[in-house]
Order: sequence, then structure tokens, then C-alpha cells
Amino acid sequence: MRNLIAFLQRFRIFLVFAILQILALSWYVTYLSFPRNQFLTTNNNIAIKVLEWEHDLTKHFNLSKNNTDLQWENIYWRKRQPQFMYQLSRGKVKINDTIYEQQYAYIPAEVINSSVNRRNNYFTLNVGSAQGIKRGMGVFCQQGVVGIIHYVSQHYSLVKTVLTKDINIDVSIHMKKTDLPGLLKWDGRDPRYGMITGINNDLRIKKWSKVETRGGSGIFPKGLPVGKVSFTEPIEGQALWKVEIRFSADYRRLQRVYIIKNLHLAEQTALEDRIPEDDE
Amino acid sequence: MNIAYKHIIRFVIFAFLQALVFNQLNIGFGIHLMIQPLYIMLLPFELTVIPLMGIAFLLGLVIDVFSNTYGLNTSALVLMAYLRPIVFKFYGPREGYDPLKEPTAHDMGISWFGLVYGILLSLHTFWFFLLEIFEIGRFGFILQKTILSGGLSFLLALLIQSFILNSKQKK
Repeated sequence: MRNLIAFLQRFRIFLVFAILQILALSWYVTYLSFPRNQFLTTNNNIAIKVLEWEHDLTKHFNLSKNNTDLQWENIYWRKRQPQFMYQLSRGKVKINDTIYEQQYAYIPAEVINSSVNRRNNYFTLNVGSAQGIKRGMGVFCQQGVVGIIHYVSQHYSLVKTVLTKDINIDVSIHMKKTDLPGLLKWDGRDPRYGMITGINNDLRIKKWSKVETRGGSGIFPKGLPVGKVSFTEPIEGQALWKVEIRFSADYRRLQRVYIIKNLHLAEQTALEDRIPEDDE
Repeated sequence: MNIAYKHIIRFVIFAFLQALVFNQLNIGFGIHLMIQPLYIMLLPFELTVIPLMGIAFLLGLVIDVFSNTYGLNTSALVLMAYLRPIVFKFYGPREGYDPLKEPTAHDMGISWFGLVYGILLSLHTFWFFLLEIFEIGRFGFILQKTILSGGLSFLLALLIQSFILNSKQKK
């Protein structure tokens, strides 16, 4: 009898342990796929206040680097303004607005909280549903793609960055004659390097060829920079390349980002929903 | 009551240090410094395992909320709290622990602390990275992260003890 009580005593401890573990792990597993409760992320009121306060303290650390980057971007766009160019053939240059319609709107935002050394890295931004942010919008910075909005509260949002396990952004390797489509992945090793899967090894890939977004899913426009191919290796037993890329953006000191709103996304998804599904 | 207050204040300090300082440090090589296991380690000897696991769950929850890890820290800390009495019993003195002493390097000696905290920290860190990466065939990577992060976190724990806790005791 005494043994039985001792056994139950021991078992009760294990039971509490198991319940707490199941609580924690179920939270972990469900959040990775779909967030349900905003209270348990950095998007809740208390955590966001503390993180904002910390951000106010640390946001000037990379100030001069960020200012230089912004200045370079300004010069880049200024060079493309028609009024700063010398007009070679007078009276013929005309910007016809009926041909080009705006497809993407951009919302600027600031990264409040970020991490790069975990397996799944999320950034917190200081814009939310009040600014028109919705789940599934793309996020990019001046140098390259950052991620996809994962969760939105009223004034803040959470980005699932390219530094996560199952991000799967469709990209293509830009080559002289063709573009090779593939999926962007991250193996969790180094925040400077990513991977592209699904590239057939019938074509040789030049080192340092550019990798850009493909724009197929309507999240990102075509041609946003992602990185450059840094290493290729054939996968044993498969007709595929193992492609490693170097990200063009440095996610470790990222502060200013833009969120892309595709104004034609509803039209595109409505059209694509008409594709009949295979019932076989 | 005095000792409870001390541990509550320490809880807040450890949670905020981890969330606001050590989470933001990017050393490279996938190193992730963790000081929250030290808090669980430094709780008094006479605390039984169920309140211990409750405290670990709370601390993990706070750190998870601040670092978007969704239950990873909670799970690892609860595991460590569950194992703490077992490891303590195994390496304890024959007549039991002195209730006036605390499980610090200062009170119990550096070799005892190094051994017990080393075991608990490496189990905690290994569990953390095992869950975080969770891929078959990446075992070497998990071990590499465990050894690098665990080793540095261990040195950090010794440093924190020698600076903060020692000066507190002198007063």
C-alpha cells in the first residue's frame, strides 16, 4: 500500500510535468502554422510597450549606416526622375499614365523587435490593421525581401521573415537566357545565407547570378532583389542542384521596411479560384 | 517573507535581462545566450518540484512572449525544473542539504555548482535546440548549437554570480 502511494506521488509529479509540457508544445506547434491568440506574442499591450521603450533606446545604434543607405536610395531614384535628365529629343518624351496603372501600394514601417539567431525568426513592426495591413502581405526593405505578414493587431504586426523554416517564397535565378524558378528556404545556420530548392541540374548556374522574386503568387512584385548565388552542388541521387545564396539584405541590422499592398490581388485570386480542382 | 521578495525581484530582473539584452545580442555562429536557467537553479533547496515547475512555466511564458518563440522556452524550463530535484539528490551530500545555504557557487563551492548546473544547463539547451530545429539529419547542427550556446551561457552564469550575487551577500 505504501508503495502504491509512493508510486502515485511520483506519478502525480510526472502528470503535472506532462500537462505543462503539452501546454507549451501545443502552443509552439499551433503558432508556427496559424496564430490564434494575440496575447501570447509580442503583439500584446504590455510586451509591446516595453519593446517600444527599448527600441527608443537602441534605434540610434545604426543611424549613420541607415542614413547613408537612404541617401543612396534617394540618389538612385533621383537619377530616374525625368526633370533631372537632359532631354535628347525635345518634345517627344512623354509619360503616358494610361499605359501604366499603379498595381502596388507601399506602406513604410519600422522594425521594433527582431531576432536572427533562432530557427524561426519573427520581426515586430509598428504598423497594424489601422494602417491597412493584412495577413499575407509582403514585406521588403531597400536591399531585398524580408518576409510575409503573419499576424496583425490594431497598431502592430508580426512578420514571418525569410529566416524561418517554412517560408517558401517563389524566386527565380536570373540567368542570361532563361530564369530558373525555385523556392526560397532557410536552413537555420547563418542569417546571411539562404537556400533555393527545386532547381533542375540540367543547366549550369553561374556563381553570383542574381536571385529575384518571381511575382507569381501576387505577394511580391516581379524583380525584387533577394540575393546572389554563392554556392552550388549536385544533390546525390536526385537531378537537382543544391543552391546556396547570399542575401542582399543584412537582416541583423534591419530597421526600415516597406509593406507591399497588391491592389490587384483580389482580382488575381478570384480568377485563380475558377481553376477546377482535380477530384481524382 | 524576505526570501520570497528577493526571488520575485530576481524573477523580474532575469526576465527583463533575457528579453531586452541577451535576446538582442547577435554574436554569430547561431549562439543564443540564455540566463533564465540560472534563475531556476538559484531557487531555494526546500522548494518542491511542483511549485518549481509552476515558476519555470511562468518564467518561460514571460520570455516566450517577449521573444516570439511560442512555448519553446517554457517547455525547456519546465523540463529543467522537473529534473532539478533528481540531479540535486544524486549529487547532494549524504545528510541532505543545509537549509540555510543556497544553491550558488558561493555557498556550495564552484565544483558542485559547475557539475550540477552544467548537467542541467546542457539538458535544457539540448532540449531547446532539439525542439527548435526538429529535423532528422541535422543532429550535428543541434549539438554544435548546444555546445556553443551552452558553454557561453555557463560562463555568463558564473560571471553573473561573481558580480551581482556576491556583492549582494557582502552587504
